[in-house]
Amino acid sequence: MVELARKPCVLEVPATVGALGDIAAFVLRLAGRAGLGKRATYRIRLAVDELATNIVMHGYRGGDGRITVRGCSGPDGVRIVIEDTAPAFDPVEGRLPPAIGIPPQRRRVGGLGIHLALTSVDAYHYARRDSRNISTLTVKAEGTDPCPPRP
Amino acid sequence: MPLSVSLSIEGDTTVIELTGELDAKTAPEFHQTIEKAAGHGTSTVEIRMAGVGYMASAGLRSLVFAQQKVADHVTIKVVGAIEPVSRTIRTAGLDRSILLTDG
Repeated sequence: MVELARKPCVLEVPATVGALGDIAAFVLRLAGRAGLGKRATYRIRLAVDELATNIVMHGYRGGDGRITVRGCSGPDGVRIVIEDTAPAFDPVEGRLPPAIGIPPQRRRVGGLGIHLALTSVDAYHYARRDSRNISTLTVKAEGTDPCPPRP
Repeated sequence: MPLSVSLSIEGDTTVIELTGELDAKTAPEFHQTIEKAAGHGTSTVEIRMAGVGYMASAGLRSLVFAQQKVADHVTIKVVGAIEPVSRTIRTAGLDRSILLTDG
């Protein structure tokens, strides 16, 4: 169980590729506040980036939309909640593990982002509430799970 | 952080050097450079990534794209990637067909 500050920080941005940098900066600030090590910081940034990118590219499909990111940090780690109002999408159901046995020349290009996100965090939870997709990601501080199990 | 991409030829190797961050916003530039590199017809395409501090799945897609663009006999090398970047490449299983070296 990760103990975190009660009051979350909140960022709301338009669902555009241009806003992904703002989300990354927000996550990096939280990771810094929690004192996460380099590896854990990289993992939470990658996971949030991949899920947010997926919302922009496939959730809203280029249409108007917003992404809300809430974050809590504490000495044990960081928890991020990502919300959007795109059509329902459960990343755990929709993940596409890499087709390692297929030669790259015949591989589908894409589909790896969700897999990367889910294998980068220590805990992941998806919910659909009030027409919103709600993803909750937790990364513990360095030294706990350097390579977390797949959810 | 933006991505800086350079392209050069050293003997029979086409060298792509990347510096910065490789994500959904910056990967299209890498994509364009790969297309140019594939047209050079060298036997090796070497992608120097020591200056890449962050790579998302968009970068993986570019690497798969590179393998699909070059001829079968062309070797693709990724050189100098930091540990989280090389881990991402391994997670996708691309280390089976791309030569990963420390540099």
